[in-house]
Amino acid sequence: MRLQAALFVAACVSPAAAIYPDEVNQIDFHHALLGAPSFDSTFFLKPSSASNASLLYTISENSILGAINPRDGALVWRHNISRPAGGAGLLRGLDGNNAVVGAAGDYISSWGAQDGKLIWETQFDGGSVADIELLEMEDATAASGVRDTIALIAGKSFGTVRRFDGDSGAVKWEYIDDSGDVPFQVSSSPTEIFYISLQSGLLKSSKVKITSLDPVTGQQVRQHILNTEGDITGPESVLFVGANSASPLIAWTDKSQKTLKVNVIGTKRVSSVTIDNTSGEEIQEITVHAPHKLSSLPHFLVHYKTESGAWAEVYHVDLKSAVVSKAYHLPYLQGQSVIATSNIDANVYFTRISDLEAVVVSSASHGILGRWDMDAPSSDRSVAAVTEVVSKGKSVAVRSVILRKSGDWQLIRNGQVEWTRPESLIDAVAATWAEVEEQEELAHELEVEGHESLLGAYIHRVKRHARDLQHLPQWLQELPQRIISSILADEVTNLDSFGVSKPVIVATNSGRVYSLDTGRQGAVIWSTQAAEKPWDVKNIYARAGVVTIDSGDGSSVVVNASTGAIVSRSAQQGPKLQSIVNFEGHDGSSPVRLGLLGVQEDGSPVAPFDDITGFLVTTSADGRVLGWVESDNKTPVWEFVPPSGQKIVKATARPAHDPVASIGKVLGNRSVLYKYLNSNLVLVTAVNEKEHVAGFYLLDGVSGKVLHSISQAGVDPLQPIASVVSENWFAYSFFGDVVGDSSAKGYQLAVSELFESSIPNDRGPLDAAGNYSSLHRTGNSLPLPHVVSQSFMIAEPISHMAVTQTRQGITTRQLLCTLSSSNSIVAIPRPVLDPRRPVDRDPTSAEAEEGLFRYVPFLDFDGRWYLTHSRDVTGIKNVLSRPTLLESTSLILAYGGDVFGTRATPSQAFDVLGKSFSKLQLVLTVVALAIGVAFLAPITRKKQVNMLWRAT
Amino acid sequence: MSALPPPPPPQWVVALNSPMPRPTKAANSIPDPPGFSSSSTRGGKQVSLHSADKIVIRADRGTYQRQQQDKQPSAKRPEETDALKLKKAWEIAIAPSKQLPMQAIMMYMSGNSLQIFSIMMVLMLFKGPIQGLINTNAAFAKYETPSTRGRLLGVKAVYVLMQLLLLALGVWKVNGMGLLPTTRSDWLAWESERQPLERAYFAFK
Repeated sequence: MRLQAALFVAACVSPAAAIYPDEVNQIDFHHALLGAPSFDSTFFLKPSSASNASLLYTISENSILGAINPRDGALVWRHNISRPAGGAGLLRGLDGNNAVVGAAGDYISSWGAQDGKLIWETQFDGGSVADIELLEMEDATAASGVRDTIALIAGKSFGTVRRFDGDSGAVKWEYIDDSGDVPFQVSSSPTEIFYISLQSGLLKSSKVKITSLDPVTGQQVRQHILNTEGDITGPESVLFVGANSASPLIAWTDKSQKTLKVNVIGTKRVSSVTIDNTSGEEIQEITVHAPHKLSSLPHFLVHYKTESGAWAEVYHVDLKSAVVSKAYHLPYLQGQSVIATSNIDANVYFTRISDLEAVVVSSASHGILGRWDMDAPSSDRSVAAVTEVVSKGKSVAVRSVILRKSGDWQLIRNGQVEWTRPESLIDAVAATWAEVEEQEELAHELEVEGHESLLGAYIHRVKRHARDLQHLPQWLQELPQRIISSILADEVTNLDSFGVSKPVIVATNSGRVYSLDTGRQGAVIWSTQAAEKPWDVKNIYARAGVVTIDSGDGSSVVVNASTGAIVSRSAQQGPKLQSIVNFEGHDGSSPVRLGLLGVQEDGSPVAPFDDITGFLVTTSADGRVLGWVESDNKTPVWEFVPPSGQKIVKATARPAHDPVASIGKVLGNRSVLYKYLNSNLVLVTAVNEKEHVAGFYLLDGVSGKVLHSISQAGVDPLQPIASVVSENWFAYSFFGDVVGDSSAKGYQLAVSELFESSIPNDRGPLDAAGNYSSLHRTGNSLPLPHVVSQSFMIAEPISHMAVTQTRQGITTRQLLCTLSSSNSIVAIPRPVLDPRRPVDRDPTSAEAEEGLFRYVPFLDFDGRWYLTHSRDVTGIKNVLSRPTLLESTSLILAYGGDVFGTRATPSQAFDVLGKSFSKLQLVLTVVALAIGVAFLAPITRKKQVNMLWRAT
Repeated sequence: MSALPPPPPPQWVVALNSPMPRPTKAANSIPDPPGFSSSSTRGGKQVSLHSADKIVIRADRGTYQRQQQDKQPSAKRPEETDALKLKKAWEIAIAPSKQLPMQAIMMYMSGNSLQIFSIMMVLMLFKGPIQGLINTNAAFAKYETPSTRGRLLGVKAVYVLMQLLLLALGVWKVNGMGLLPTTRSDWLAWESERQPLERAYFAFK
């Protein structure tokens, strides 16, 4: 007992397992994501005038702007500039400028291109940014290399053009258009700034009004209205407004898509070009590609897409007469293709990337400068591309970033895929670990053996082993390699067979399903489009070889876990579901799925569940917790409604896999405080938003009886309130304000532990009874727990809580807290959160033996508790934990924004050989000993024989 | 000229070289004839030259005593012999209690931690009394005569009691070290979790 206690104390006092530098990228992986890039705000740019290498800048649909290293796809820096009001993000950069300017909603900010440091930011009331441009012209007054920004702000009834100083963000001038036109875009030429707005005319058609402004003063120079003849109905019918080219363009088509109309901004002339459609199919999409650089040639390309193919035409603009003339065309090609524009000095290059090849042409002539065959075409349609062309003498090298429809993007250099960023993982809604199939086969075989007669089972076993012999030659072949790799490998033991590097299946909101290899830094094994439109994933469940994803509309998809092929699909059926309950029993240690049942929004199950013995607890959309029996899906057997004014915000239960190794807590004097263990516990969080009161109610899930309740006054209902239940304890966190003398203002973390009795060695009213019932009033009815609580002040909000799970629950648990303000996940060891820590005094020797130490009101997160160490893991919405075959190790996966996976060893990796263990040294020692013995044995034998002779 | 085997030595040479046959127990108890003084009473060395009387070499107190008695069988009466035997038996019976204070101090001093030395000391502490208990009859065999048998029972009882006292000391020590499963926590592993009769499933996602 003393030994056990000593070990326990050692486990508590020894520093919590921290992550060592050599474990980074070995045990954990991290996808630092931006989200689907918005393709007109994605570009290559040299971060400073001094640097040669360029970075890739983008702003995503989630309004996260960032810089990517084009070499390996690693994130250099990123900032989330999304506004609560929403609004698409815009990002502009200029070669030779040290800053990039991003805008979203009512917010504009300038960031250092190299390091992502904030240069200036500004926010305005009313309106949102419709367009921004960086002024490219050389300004004699500008001292630094930072250019000024022109922004167009669209208000409700007016448009404002502002010029922001590049260094300070101060407004230099402002032009207000209160004519009621729809502000559309700004563009600039070397001498003027053009404000383009759409003037609504008759019959829903609009006219394009162009206002020229003086760049220095912001005064209106002139204004004219283009003759659009009713072709334009809104902003979406204008194909292109040339940004900052030497000859800024505005292009649109007529309604029948027969003629392309182009105007060089600043002139009144509209050039019409007939669209020469030889494909015989309807044109689906027309895109105009023009260079963005001031000094580049006034050439542009129009790309026509039909259902099955695409072609492109290149036009030249005469700068003097503003006449548009066709230069040449790129032939019609079957399949998808995208075009990108790039510059080298004044020369303009167009890169056309189709399924089969990538072709680079100059804008001046149709001669092909470079051609590369592509790798296998992707099923994921490409939407747009951004390229960077480098000329090497006569030939050119090109690297292109292709933006896929799913939101993923990949860099292709000379036809070869260099990297792929799975950006659509950013809106992951459900995830699970895949289950491997092989074990299932063996389990099945063993089951067959178990059911047969003794002789039959023996014969079966012999046959099975004989069959296994066919793998022997292969096994023998692999043996030397395995031995060598096990000696030389970085990791002492290959833990893959212990289930620590299972693939992770992630379903995103957009209907995609990904499989990530946790053993190889989370590389994507496969990805598939399981649903065409965004789906409301309610349940994801993995069993041998397949993953089932159930969505809220009643449909479900079964995906092969190793290939990503869709095995089966069931159509939408029944009413809209609020949640799906997964009836899961436990057959020994492996979970068994008993059934699946949808729960409607009013909290009632869609059907009775007669085949399952048990009770069902649901929440309804109007904030009640309901209990159901198997035979009745109309009337709940019990209903929990919080006190008036309170609204249920969350209900949690113990994890499905939550084994308890010891049913009591051994105290310093060897007596036992018995844990109150009830697998049906429900922790309900309810908030009164008016009176700022939060109630935490611990219910019994079978009878609905309130076992314990806590009321916290002064709670900020807008701050995250997280809660979790495990084993015999629950924890919750909130922001509390001062309401009385003893309360404190700040983020608080409270822990409560449940015991059967306050007296040691006492098992409460049930005493030694082997089971209990929540329903029977007499006999083994459910007693109330004895609750011990303690709360701590913490420095930052906790947005989500989870608990580590291990195979047998012997390992101490850790409370996994997602810290949304510092973008990290911290694992707080349970011994620190023991509510029995002595308050205002040092622990007695008995308490110290138990591992208790003095209570300190402020809980400082130890740097070693951070699972994310130096990583910046943002936007996490959910954290999952799962046991492995190693008792010490628990797998952890966090998703919702970034995707982060790691292994946690709360009591250190006690069942794994450490890295300091050298197999080579061991082998060498044994070999050296063997050699020594072989060498000395004859000598000794000879000596002994000689001694015998001499003695007689 | 092949060497012939030497002739067998004569009987007396064989008798001279071989030691005297060990006298049986029965022969030992035969008193010496009157007037015969056995040289074996003086000096073990001398005796060992003459015979291999191991009883004497053992220098066992009891044996010595007996031989002294044997020397003057007529000088002491059987009652006196028995009284002497009992006295000696008492001495043996009380002997373990003399260790008791010393052992107690040693055990107290060695502390309650689980270390190799304290464990070894505790093992020795158990080994002594247990061996003593097993050999109770052997220890008193020399004093056991038909006349003393009855009275020796009490002596043996005291002897056993003393050994038990030593054992109790060992048990006390082991308990102090926390090795006895006397507390509730020692049986915790055999207690099982109470199982609920009803099972609830949750739909909270």
